[in-house]
This record gives sequence, C-alpha cells and structure tokens, in this order.
Amino acid sequence: MVRRFTHIGVSILLLAGTALSSCKKDKEEAIDPVIPAPTPYTLVVPAGFPTPVIPADNPLTNEGVALGRMLFYETKLSSNNTMSCGSCHQQNKAFTDGLAKAVGVDGIANPRGTMSLANVMWSNTLTWDGAFPTLDAQAHKPIENPIEMHQSLAVGVSKLQNTTTYPPLFEAAFGTRTITSDLLLKALTQFERTLISGNSRYDKYTKTQQGLSADELAGLKLYSTHISPRIVRGAECFHCHTLPLTSSNFAAQFFNNGLDMTFTDLGRGGVTGLPADNGKFVAPTLRNITLTAPYMHDGRFTTLEQVLDHYSDHVQMNSPGLDVNLIQGVNDPIFNPGRMGLTATEKRQVIAFLKTLTDSTFIADKRFSDPFKP
Amino acid sequence: MKNRTLSALFLLAAPLALFSGCKKDSDTPEATSTGSVNFTVQNVVPNTNVVGVQPPTPLVLNSSVATTSTGETFTVSTFEYYLSNIKFTKSDGTTYAAPDTYFLVDQATAKTLSFTVPNVPTGDYTGVSFIVGVDAQRTGLTNPLDFTGKLEALNQAYNMYWTWNSGHIFLKMEGTLTSTNPTKPLTCHIGGWGNNSTPNAIVTATPAFGSNKLTVRTDKAPTIALQANVAKLFDGPNPVTLSTFMGAHMPSAQSVQIAQNYAAGMFSVTQINTN
Repeated sequence: MVRRFTHIGVSILLLAGTALSSCKKDKEEAIDPVIPAPTPYTLVVPAGFPTPVIPADNPLTNEGVALGRMLFYETKLSSNNTMSCGSCHQQNKAFTDGLAKAVGVDGIANPRGTMSLANVMWSNTLTWDGAFPTLDAQAHKPIENPIEMHQSLAVGVSKLQNTTTYPPLFEAAFGTRTITSDLLLKALTQFERTLISGNSRYDKYTKTQQGLSADELAGLKLYSTHISPRIVRGAECFHCHTLPLTSSNFAAQFFNNGLDMTFTDLGRGGVTGLPADNGKFVAPTLRNITLTAPYMHDGRFTTLEQVLDHYSDHVQMNSPGLDVNLIQGVNDPIFNPGRMGLTATEKRQVIAFLKTLTDSTFIADKRFSDPFKP
Repeated sequence: MKNRTLSALFLLAAPLALFSGCKKDSDTPEATSTGSVNFTVQNVVPNTNVVGVQPPTPLVLNSSVATTSTGETFTVSTFEYYLSNIKFTKSDGTTYAAPDTYFLVDQATAKTLSFTVPNVPTGDYTGVSFIVGVDAQRTGLTNPLDFTGKLEALNQAYNMYWTWNSGHIFLKMEGTLTSTNPTKPLTCHIGGWGNNSTPNAIVTATPAFGSNKLTVRTDKAPTIALQANVAKLFDGPNPVTLSTFMGAHMPSAQSVQIAQNYAAGMFSVTQINTN
C-alpha cells in the first residue's frame, strides 16, 4: 500500500513538473522504478453478500490473480503432468467434475466428491469435513495428496522455476523471480477468491422482487420456511443451506442430514474426534446445483428429485446426531408422522427454485477459463 | 513565468487545502473525549452439584447439562444471540446510546465471545442495557441486501434470519431434553418484531452493575464481563415446562414469553475490570 501511494505521489509530482516546465524531462525518466507494483484487483461483491475477508498478507492483484489462473490450470503441478486443479474443478460444471468421487492422477478415487469453488472466498471452513479453516491452509492439500495430484509443492515449484514463462509472472505479482511454495499458493488462492457466482435469476429477484414464476417463488418460500406442524408447511432447506450463499461454509457448521444409520465416513467427527460430530458434513453451496450432480459427499444421488425424495421421505430419523430441524421438521404428524412429507407439487416447486440458482455468466466468464486453451 | 508558477502552485495547493480540510474535520475530536468499552460473554449452566449457592459453570456444547428450577435437564448443541443497541447510563440518569452496535454471540465461535464498543464519551457509568435481538428498524424495515459494513453482523449468511417478513432470529438455542424418556430435541428460535400484528419479541436486558462502576477514559478501556445463564430461557416470569414444550421457531406468544424470561434473568455482570 505504502509503495502504491508513493507511486501516486510521484506521478502527481511528475504531472505538476510537466505543467511547470518542459526542461526537466530527463529527470522524469530517471525516476522510473525497476518493477512496477502490482495493480490492486477490483473485486465486485454481489449485493447482500457478506463483506469478504482477505488475508492482509495476500491482497488480490491483477498480476497475482492472472498468475493464479495459470497455476490453477497448470498440469506441471501433478506428478505425471496430466492433471491440474481445473481437471476436477471444471468451469462448465461450476468447478465440479460430474463424478460421485474425485479421481486423482493414479486413477484412485477419493472417498468424497469434488466440491464447487463458487464463492469459496466466503468459506470459513474448507472441504466436506472442515479439515481446513481457510482457503490458504487448504490449497496445498489436493496438490500433494497421493490420491489427487500426488506431487510435493517443492517439486512443482522447481518445475515452474525451470520454465521461461513463470519467473517473470511471479516477479510481476510478487516482486521476485524466485518461486516458493508460499507464493505459488498465494497466487492460486488469489484466483480462487475471484470465483464469485452472484448473478443468478435468484440474485436478480432479490434486487427487483421480480422475475420468478409462481412455482419458483413457492419453492423459495418452502426453502426458507421452518415447519410448524399442520400450521405452516416448509422444507427447512435454509437452516443449513443459508441464503444468500446457500451453504454452511460461511457459518462453518456441520450437519447429519440422515443419510445413514451408521457411518462409514465419520465426516466432521473424523476431524474433531467428538462422537457428536460423527456423520456430519458441511452443507455445500446450492448455487449452480443443476450443474454439480451427483449430490451428497459421496455422490449417491444423481438427480435433484432423488435429493428431495431423501429429505421428504427417506431421512433416517434415528440416525445418531440427526439435525434437530430434520427431527422436528414434520409437516403432518397425524397423517404422515416422522417424515417431512412434502407433496409431489412441493418437491417440484423446491426444485424449480433451485434451478434459479444457476449462474450462466459464472460458467462462461472468460476470466475464469483455462488460459492454455484457445 | 512568475504568474504561471504562482497559478500552478495555487492549483497544487487548492486540492491540498481541500484534502487537509476534509481530514481535519474527521480527525478533530468531538467536544467530548471518548474511550472504548470491551465486553466479554461467558455462557453458563447452573451449578447443581453442591448444596447452597454456587457459581454457575461454563457451558460446553453437547456436554454441559443445564437444569431448570423445576429440575428438568437439557444439553445444548447451538447457542447464539444478538446483543444490540448498547446503552450506557450515568448516575445522573443521562445515557449514551452507542450507534450501530450489533453483535452476534455464538458459543461455537470463540471470537464472538468478546467485542468492543468504541467512541463512548469518557465518564463514570453506573449501568448498561442492550436489546437481546435486533431493533425493529433494522430487522424489519431494512433491505437484507444492505446488511453489510456497519451492519455486517446482521447479514443473512450468519444463519440468524427468516426471509418471510419476520426478520432476524434474535436468539437460537438447539439441544436435547434429557429429563424425558426417551430424550427429545429442543429448539428455540426466538424472533418477531411486531409487524402485521405478529408478536413482538424485542426485549431489553439491564443487568445490574451492583457496586461496580464503569470508568471510561481516553487511556483506559474497561471490560464488562457478562454472564448468560442458558437455563434462564425457561425460568423467570414465564416458567416453561419442557416435557410438553413443542419448540419455538416462529413469532408466537410463547416466543415472547421466552424473550421476557431471558430479558429478565439470563444476563448478569460478574465483573467490571478497569484497565
């Protein structure tokens, strides 16, 4: 910051000098510094989103973000030079891969699926089980994980150092041609923080209160309503998929949504060691949900209809630690006890609303695409 | 040449004067000097292990057992509430209402268990009050898209907001009633700001200072240690029998009763530390 202001100060002085006389031209050229400071990146935050918190030691710059975009799509960061972050986080699928479980360079599947990166800047907990509190802490994991890109950052750094492409880009972004793991991750997370999806039909509706059909509005109301048995019908979605981000990553909360009676994957409990956390996972973003199938941490559901059927009719009500809002979320305890019990129409309406969360500009935005492809 | 130089200097100086003028305004202290007041919040459950009056014990989520005055017991998995509109009172009855004070206290997030109110006029204060929840202007009459900046704590993303014309969830407690067999889930989502003749659950707590005084100076940032006893949700002016309690999750008469309970007796000031 100090450096940038110095530059502004210098240019004002230069302008003034030019205005005063033309005989000092020689002096101006001598002042030009060796490496220009990187330009701050202009972040556009969608209306109603929380104010983003960006680490003080890694402000977004145009140069850093541009470098991060290349690194995101750089296959040299994998052991056999075949995979990049973008292999699993594909833009046209809102940065997911269409698989139930992510598959790494050695053909081995992860226990869980690839998560969307839409609005990851607002995630105060990362990955399905919240193993990492910040994006900066998380970013090295998929690169080094043996069942993902399977290469130490140090090896990736030396591969990049030996190119003619990267040292000047690191110099432009960070003022040094010497690449380090730290700077590599900083550039990568700068790019990831720009992956903002806030231009869906739902977002337009929040600004204008117009543009959604009767079914979509009915779906939004069900989504956002807590059930009062036999008084107010709801679908309880908002408790975990909290608007406007439609996830629990911001609030850093984890839930057992009643998929199983026993847990082959302990989820959050595997991180905290607390039995109360077993079988709990973060509620992922529902933005662009039509593009991010299959659903759940293990990709067990292939359609949104199956997901709605689960919450309405198939929740394991005796699953230990089941979220209280699902235990109590029974629309009609007399005629359909122990079930949320949505009607076919209500399921269709919720899905109609979920489809308004697709952001066509996000998946087409050239700033996020693979720079190595034409 | 001289004229040109002079006018150039003037052009340079004019904006400088403007800049310094602007700066001066915001930097000049008000007629009264100010200091900060820190708050810490400790959520607790009553101590029932020993006979006699014992200090309550710190709430541990999913673990501590809270006991109501009628002996019903419950554990807590989520405990969050808003404290807002903080007001300080002097012995002469004059008050200072701190503007835009909205704090979300979440037992699961350590950093929310302390906060600071800046720019409090220096002086000796004998009381504090705050809304447990959010005022009607902000919760009911403000576009949720505007919950940023000074109103950041009110953002919908904090998972304390009802979309359908009901505003914020002022207090959220989720847990398990353990004194019934079988145990049963316990949910308390308290809100409602009195629109469209719905019940109004906006309540103010005024925990007594006792013999303590709050001394605000420019060079001293005193700390008010608040304690919040979760069992008081169900005790007080409107005792709630938990075995037949159906939960509260929308503006209702019962929500207002629980709000009256926590306004009356949940908060106490355990200490004021003048640094």
